[in-house]
Amino acid sequence: MTGEPSTHPPSVVDRLPRGELVRARVATAFAAPLAAALDDRLTGYLRIEPGEALLGGSGAEAVVTLEEGVPVLVYDAAADADGPAALAALAGSAPARVESYRLPAETLADLHDPDADAAAPFRVAPDAPARELAADDDLADRTRAAAPDDRGDEGDHDALAAFLADEERVEQVRADARAEAEARAAEWGLSDQLDGE
Amino acid sequence: MVEAFAVASGKGGTGKTTTTLALGMALAERYDVTVVDADTGMANLLFHTGLADAPVTLQDLLAPDGSAVDVADATYDRHGLRVVPCGTSLAAFERSDPARLREVVAELAADTDVLLLDSPATLASKSAVLPVVLADRVVVVTQPTIPALSDALKVQEYATSYGTGVAGVLFNRVRGDLGGVEEQAERYFEGPMLGSVPDSDAARAARDVGEPLLAHAPDSDAARAFREVAAGVDPEPKAAGDVADRFRSAVVPERP
Repeated sequence: MTGEPSTHPPSVVDRLPRGELVRARVATAFAAPLAAALDDRLTGYLRIEPGEALLGGSGAEAVVTLEEGVPVLVYDAAADADGPAALAALAGSAPARVESYRLPAETLADLHDPDADAAAPFRVAPDAPARELAADDDLADRTRAAAPDDRGDEGDHDALAAFLADEERVEQVRADARAEAEARAAEWGLSDQLDGE
Repeated sequence: MVEAFAVASGKGGTGKTTTTLALGMALAERYDVTVVDADTGMANLLFHTGLADAPVTLQDLLAPDGSAVDVADATYDRHGLRVVPCGTSLAAFERSDPARLREVVAELAADTDVLLLDSPATLASKSAVLPVVLADRVVVVTQPTIPALSDALKVQEYATSYGTGVAGVLFNRVRGDLGGVEEQAERYFEGPMLGSVPDSDAARAARDVGEPLLAHAPDSDAARAFREVAAGVDPEPKAAGDVADRFRSAVVPERP
């Protein structure tokens, strides 16, 4: 499992130059900025400020680095989580402010080097952000198709595994759904149909 | 004797209709099975069963004058199943009276062992949640992604809130090795993990020619996996009258 603080090299965020701002907006879902990056073949990174950070000004942020529009590395500073665990931490956090930055390819070459041990924990499957953040199968397929052949399929389900390992978070999803079901039942006049326990 | 299952996902794109028909065909080897397209807002069962030109569908039964139409006229024998497709006319959808759905389903329940309700891929409206409210148990279909699994958990919580049991959970459209994800996920579901079905070009090809996967490519890996999944669904047929009464007594949904 990734996400052990002790294994962290200097944060990916710290090692990224600022780059040229391409666009910045509050996205209600992650599909649009990921699709725009893919369509632009953007080399650089997305800086993501999740919804609660926007409200609370906590400074929480995450980055997704890109090569030719295809995600390579992910880091979530708020959870101090990397790679698939960072995707698990970010999943469901839209709306978020998403800034897209362009960088010269050589700036990212060392970080994106598949043999760079320091960056290895941050790597994700090329289509994982589209699947796990955007829930967009078509975008995931397009991203996988655009990925270089040497990007492997390994780790496809690591983000889901990281999510399921967080028992507290999964139980919160269940508790929220139960509360929503009961509130909606009242709204729809279905309360009589609710289980009486 | 009948047990009603809602096949539900909470999220679109999980292959729910393919799953409904595959489970239906596999269970039809042991039971009389009726499959109903309860996803009236985004009907597509008809495209999977070669019934795109069906002259009478559930929409006709749900029309304001639908009581004049016989349920049997919207029921088609296909692939060893009784299939009740739903039309896709927006005008007919807007005219339809979902209140009649429970009557239609109650009537169907009187004459089958297993009733499979292909449910809407949302929980956002009273009509959409009705199949989950009415069914005895829900079969939860998910993909191995965080958003799909979150929605699958949500379906389970809605179902159990309404006293609907969980027959089990299956991962569909799986790519690669799931590793320990099934075991990890099983802890959070009330029903058993029924299995995993690989992503399959055969499923898409089957839909394109208007056949259920198990008819179009019965020897495909996906078809085999669905048969294994179905073996884990153990229908507990109840007195048909109980189910029919349950549908009839259910609260009438408002217009969507």
